[in-house]
Amino acid sequence: MLSYIFRRILQSVLVLLVVGLVAFAMFRFVGDPVETMLGQERTVEDIERLRENLGLNDPFFVQYWNFLVRAVQGDLGISYRQGRPVAEIIAERLPATLELAAVSGLFALVFGIVFGVFTAIRRDGWAANAIMTLSLIGVSLPTFLIGILLIYVFAVELSWLPSFGRGEVVQLGGWSTGFLTQSGLIALILPSITLGLYQMTLIMRLVRSEMLEVLRQDYIRFARARGLSQKAINFRHALKNTLVPVITVTGLQLGSIIAFAIITETVFQWPGVGLLFINAIQFVDIPVMAAYLMLISVMFVGINLIVDLLYVAIDPRLRS
Amino acid sequence: MTRLFAAATLAAGLAFPAAAETFRWSSTTDPSTMDPHAVSSTPVLGFLTNVYEGLVRRGRDMTIEPALATRWEPLPDGAGWRFYLREGVTFHDGAAFTAEDVRFSYERAASEASDVRSWFAPVSDLVVVDDYTVDILTSTPQPIFPDSIANWMMMDSGWAEANGAVAVARDAENFATLNANGTGAFRLVSRQPDLETVLEPFAGWWGEVEHTVTRAVFTPIQNPATAVAALLSGEIDMINPVPVQDAERIDAADGTTVLRGIETRVIMLGFAHDHAELQGGGDNPFSDVRVRRAVAHAVNVPAILQTIMRGSAEPASQLVPPSARGFSPALDSRPAYDPEAARALLAEAGYPDGFAFSLSCTNDRYINDEQVCQAVTGMLAQVGMTATLEAMPVSNYWPELRADNFDMYLLGWSPGTFDAEHPLRFLVHTAGDRLGTWNFGGYTNPRIDELLPMIQSEIDDTARQAMLDEAAATVQDDMVYVPLYVEPLLWGLRDGIEVTQRPDNFFVLRWVNHR
Repeated sequence: MLSYIFRRILQSVLVLLVVGLVAFAMFRFVGDPVETMLGQERTVEDIERLRENLGLNDPFFVQYWNFLVRAVQGDLGISYRQGRPVAEIIAERLPATLELAAVSGLFALVFGIVFGVFTAIRRDGWAANAIMTLSLIGVSLPTFLIGILLIYVFAVELSWLPSFGRGEVVQLGGWSTGFLTQSGLIALILPSITLGLYQMTLIMRLVRSEMLEVLRQDYIRFARARGLSQKAINFRHALKNTLVPVITVTGLQLGSIIAFAIITETVFQWPGVGLLFINAIQFVDIPVMAAYLMLISVMFVGINLIVDLLYVAIDPRLRS
Repeated sequence: MTRLFAAATLAAGLAFPAAAETFRWSSTTDPSTMDPHAVSSTPVLGFLTNVYEGLVRRGRDMTIEPALATRWEPLPDGAGWRFYLREGVTFHDGAAFTAEDVRFSYERAASEASDVRSWFAPVSDLVVVDDYTVDILTSTPQPIFPDSIANWMMMDSGWAEANGAVAVARDAENFATLNANGTGAFRLVSRQPDLETVLEPFAGWWGEVEHTVTRAVFTPIQNPATAVAALLSGEIDMINPVPVQDAERIDAADGTTVLRGIETRVIMLGFAHDHAELQGGGDNPFSDVRVRRAVAHAVNVPAILQTIMRGSAEPASQLVPPSARGFSPALDSRPAYDPEAARALLAEAGYPDGFAFSLSCTNDRYINDEQVCQAVTGMLAQVGMTATLEAMPVSNYWPELRADNFDMYLLGWSPGTFDAEHPLRFLVHTAGDRLGTWNFGGYTNPRIDELLPMIQSEIDDTARQAMLDEAAATVQDDMVYVPLYVEPLLWGLRDGIEVTQRPDNFFVLRWVNHR
């Protein structure tokens, strides 16, 4: 057991290192940061001096090594664009992304299960058919289009909801939260729907097909024969047994919600790490790009590690 | 629609219960720093011009007018300039503005880490004569020196020392990255990078207040469609820029209009003058002036402006727009669209069947740049020049050009000094470490190299203009670049607000009025 965990952790670290290496090898194709950092009246001398100062003349593996050495000491470097410590910038922006991801995840889970159960029970009702048809839009329309569409309907035409930003936020220690103000909560609605729509559709379809599968099982038939109410059959017996795969998928999707937030954040000018990353690419802000990519890969590797360990806890055969 | 609009304003009022004269504006780029000497870019300097001030400033029509200096005069024998400072000016923290601050700001702005130090390249020393007089000594006579320092902003020496902001904050953060203490009409109230920056009028400002703003909130919105939505929904009072394709819709909507103007940036085509061969092999036709002229005749600029720019831009004949100082009015005509003449010129140059080459282009730098290049490619193909379009993001573009990986390329140039000497210095002079730094094509002409220092140091305006005319004529005759058009300025504005659009794309808050 212990050796299994140890092996998995070792593999995770290896994956992280490889991701970092690939990222650093790619940065040179994103462009030259010096060109965007200096004004148009720069001299060749200025360019050379800045390149040297930033260590850009070193081969990428040397740059990567320097990054790693500083990163393990907690120093993620200075942003080229803002001239401020990257760790500080990411700490400022992370709450926005995490709150958005949490609300979207919750939205996807709740509505996904409700709609999934509904469409499974009322398989041929017009409402179920309508939901199934609409859910096709959720999987087929690209996120930015849904975002723009929602903005035009609810912000421009109806003026019910704001078109951009997080509203007012409250600082709780180092964490800025939008949950405590009215404008903050209102601002969350459109971005979370945009971000969560795809996951919601996914969960809904998963719940529906699992549910249909379960409803055909013998024990459901026997439950019916026992004279249990329809409600008890559907929710106590059927739904409970469909949730195991749903929870697994949801856990794994949480990572991609955070990673997919890039597009939603750009459309809604949501001040999270995704928007920061887009900015960093445009400006060739290597320290920010590196930190973001490492953060996302740590997260994915972490989630996978937890899932693997959970399997061990669930499946006794792996423990031997 | 009116009912809808009424609902929109009502809802906006409910969602944002701020004071009536709070002014909210937005742009695609957040100023990356509050340090006036760290980054020389329009977003930074244009924003900070509201907070910091220079010795001189530009008026609504770009003319130089007194700011922290009340008057100035050249020193005898072209030794430099004397500036007489305004008395009774205070910084936002209450400290008095004196010659010591000018001296400090000079040393700071001319230091190695500063991004604006090129403005001080001809300056040999700054001498404090008394508390309210400074002499700026130059190694050669500098007739347009006051024009060239319009964006040189004054920082309080005491404030900088007390807060550890003496050095320019570029490679590392210091107090001046997030804080500001200028003498300008507005003071910085709060600063959250990439999120929101709040300014309020400075009660102790020396000038006469012409605006009605009680609080100004700047929010960057990167996605143009979101910015347009925010303007239409009433959450934002002004956006810059408006995407060309959205301008008509904003005009048509109730309560918003588009303010149109012409920027200072000239979009042009450049050539690989000194390459022996094309990228794909074969002789380089672009070293022949007849081929370059053929390009000029083959590109239908009015058609590009009509379709891609939707009538917003203006054709360009020289490397600076007509509004710039030193523009040559006599040379204000560009080669006519004439595919026949283009074909004849190509045949004369020995390419009757045309040739294939690559056209390098940005796809995220100028307004609709990639579409313009596609149109150019199509137009050139009609006379036999078949271009392969290589469009890329600007962060890859300059390194490619610097590495000489191009045959023909798109370039936009905005003269920082708003003077015709500027593009000569950077685009036309023989490429070197300090001059001709953007002359990627390697054009060289001894007469231009000879004229440039003479233009730079000529005090007499008539003589100077004569030399600028000669240089402009040479650039046109040699077809060093093919100027296409001057980029438009499109600002989206809420009705009931008056702003002034200056060609340098600076947004000046002290000219904002609520009617």
